[in-house]
Amino acid sequence: MEKEMNVTDNDNFDTMADQELIVLRKTISVDQKFATGPVMGKFLTALKDKRILAIQCPECGRLQSPPREMCAICRVRNREWVEIGPRGEMRMMEYCYYSSPDPLTGESRETPYGAIGILLDGCQKEEVFWHLLRPEHLEMVEMGIVMGDRVTRGTRLRPVWAQERSGSIDDIKYFEIDE
Amino acid sequence: MGFKKKNRHVGIVGIGETKFSSHREDVNQPEMIHEAVKDALEDAGLTMDDIDCVVHGNMELFEMVHQPDLWHTLGTGARGKDAFRLTTGGTTGGTLVGAADNLVAAGMYDTVLAIGFEKLQEGHTTGGITNMADPLWARKLQSGALTDSAAVKAIAEFGPDRAKKAAMLYRIIMDKHACLNPNSHRAFGLDWDQMADLMENSPPLIGDLRLIHMCSQSDGACAMILSSEEKAKQQCDHPVWIRDHITIHREETLNLCVNHYPNETTHRFAARHLYERNGITDPLDYFDVFEMYDPSAWWGADWIRDFFLLEGDAHYRLIEEKEIMRGGKMPINPSGGVLAANPIGATAMVRVAEAAKQVRGNAGPHQIPGTVNHAIASSFGGTMWTILIMLEKELNW
Amino acid sequence: MKNSEESDSYIIHGKLALPYTYFAGRTGSTFLTTLRDQRIIMGVKCTACNRVFVPPRQTCERCMADIRSQWVTVESQGKVVNHTVIRYQDKHLPRKPPFVLAMILLNGADTPMTHILEGVNPDRVVKGMEVAAVFSPATTNTLLDIDHFEPVAEPP
Ligand SMILES: [Zn+2]
Ligand SMILES: [Zn+2]
Repeated sequence: MEKEMNVTDNDNFDTMADQELIVLRKTISVDQKFATGPVMGKFLTALKDKRILAIQCPECGRLQSPPREMCAICRVRNREWVEIGPRGEMRMMEYCYYSSPDPLTGESRETPYGAIGILLDGCQKEEVFWHLLRPEHLEMVEMGIVMGDRVTRGTRLRPVWAQERSGSIDDIKYFEIDE
Repeated sequence: MGFKKKNRHVGIVGIGETKFSSHREDVNQPEMIHEAVKDALEDAGLTMDDIDCVVHGNMELFEMVHQPDLWHTLGTGARGKDAFRLTTGGTTGGTLVGAADNLVAAGMYDTVLAIGFEKLQEGHTTGGITNMADPLWARKLQSGALTDSAAVKAIAEFGPDRAKKAAMLYRIIMDKHACLNPNSHRAFGLDWDQMADLMENSPPLIGDLRLIHMCSQSDGACAMILSSEEKAKQQCDHPVWIRDHITIHREETLNLCVNHYPNETTHRFAARHLYERNGITDPLDYFDVFEMYDPSAWWGADWIRDFFLLEGDAHYRLIEEKEIMRGGKMPINPSGGVLAANPIGATAMVRVAEAAKQVRGNAGPHQIPGTVNHAIASSFGGTMWTILIMLEKELNW
Repeated sequence: MKNSEESDSYIIHGKLALPYTYFAGRTGSTFLTTLRDQRIIMGVKCTACNRVFVPPRQTCERCMADIRSQWVTVESQGKVVNHTVIRYQDKHLPRKPPFVLAMILLNGADTPMTHILEGVNPDRVVKGMEVAAVFSPATTNTLLDIDHFEPVAEPP
């Protein structure tokens, strides 16, 4: 991507030059461990049973999934859990022609792919759930739009669960068309 | 908000910038930083002996050096001085100016050197940003610094034809500005008759966000010297006064459903509070120039509405009537903005530096016509964080 | 639904792998290519404070003087001024533990350079020990073109 962007650079540095300039290319690779904590842990564990949980703010009532310990708007601890989905309506898609390196490998994933926001059943307004779209369905879906009085429905989607589930984001392979 | 008036006025007395470029194999990090530091000291007519404190910043993971401020002492001049490193993502440069402003205003130091830098070719920008996301969920999904959410929103509201044209018009105006700025990393020489071609043929990145819409990945540094009113008047004939600044954060959740977002954006929230507490009722009329942190043409075109508290399509009309060009009603980014150069840890500071140069009247070939009395600069970063910094030519508010 | 409890927390293993590039710059490149091609260690001298920096740098951080053109050659031999013994194993380390990392003040230099010290029992390293560079047969375009340092004379 850098290359394409720099095609018409107006750089005037004498880097071609009179001298060999040392450039080292490396990959940093660090092992990491993350504690899920009780809130994210409960959510991820439920995925093993093909259930999607959201946590609810006791003050404004909004649902968050993946869940957060607290509502950052109301600054109160979230306590109530509700099951949402697993089906829903597509509200937003990032149709990605360019991909970032997978942090696990440093390699870039296949493109194009669709990162999507799904309004799972039981949720409203901005309470969308973030996952991937089945690649074969990229060209076949519509985003639902709410713009003032204008409301259009998005494509109905359902999760495709992984055969082996370990309590991680990969327990859902992707969402696919449910129509 | 617990906002308090400053203890004392703070003025910008020195500004330094490197040329921005896609690659600087000829210098390492402290060497590149030192170019900007030297430039700022020369601009102010000061030496490191005059500097009480150094505030230094970068975007973490973007140039792959842990605690770069240690190594960078060779270039920053921080040896034996009070020093801080701040890192708040895209907003870093604005945070640096804000922190330096606070340190001087509070009376902690009389003269502070703030330095932002980035060598984006040394790290991996979108990869680095992906690591900002929640490692248990969003890291797997996030598309780095790239998003077409602004395009989706604009197209839903104004239709594809008008929205795409406005974004490309904005892009070409920025390029025309960039062509006048000798420090630009990218200045293509685009013209109006290329709009249709670029809208069709520029390589797509995400949805309707194309390569031409997106900011560059640049190497470069920026340094600014801020002093108390008393010192500033001794050090400099015409300091540029920092009247006020505001920093607004929000939760990290990256909400994709921006087409039904119930909350006021951080940009509008920040602008509303800043103008209210400074008694500015018509910001479009009050300010003479705006340096905006515009990561993409889609965002830049959209954000004008929030920053100036406009409604409906008022922001599009400003673009369509080219009122955001130099010589227009509200010149936006005479420097060419972030689309012209994006050394991320410095980018937001470059906005303030460029706005201050416009106030001084010595920006160079891209100086806008007329006197600039009031300027504003924005920073953007994280998951929608905003900083706004207000500059004044005279100490008369 | 039952509230979350501590027992709901567990560990997920991850990794951060990212490609990056390092530009040595003109000064750094001169140092590295001279080391590689001529097996000569060079520094730069600040004429303001009279100090010789190895590895070199463009500015003296004390005097803020531009010293990039003031090259001097230093000896590839010098004295240990400090050292530590690395006793843990990790994939990023250049040797299997235990091994010695020493700060070596090369003759003609005013700043010590950190490098690997071999050829001596880690428990017998002393301050002031005379050591010399052993150059690497293969180049990596890094400071490891000096493979390690070793004592000039047999340790007592
Ligand atoms: Zn709430
Ligand atoms: Zn010196």
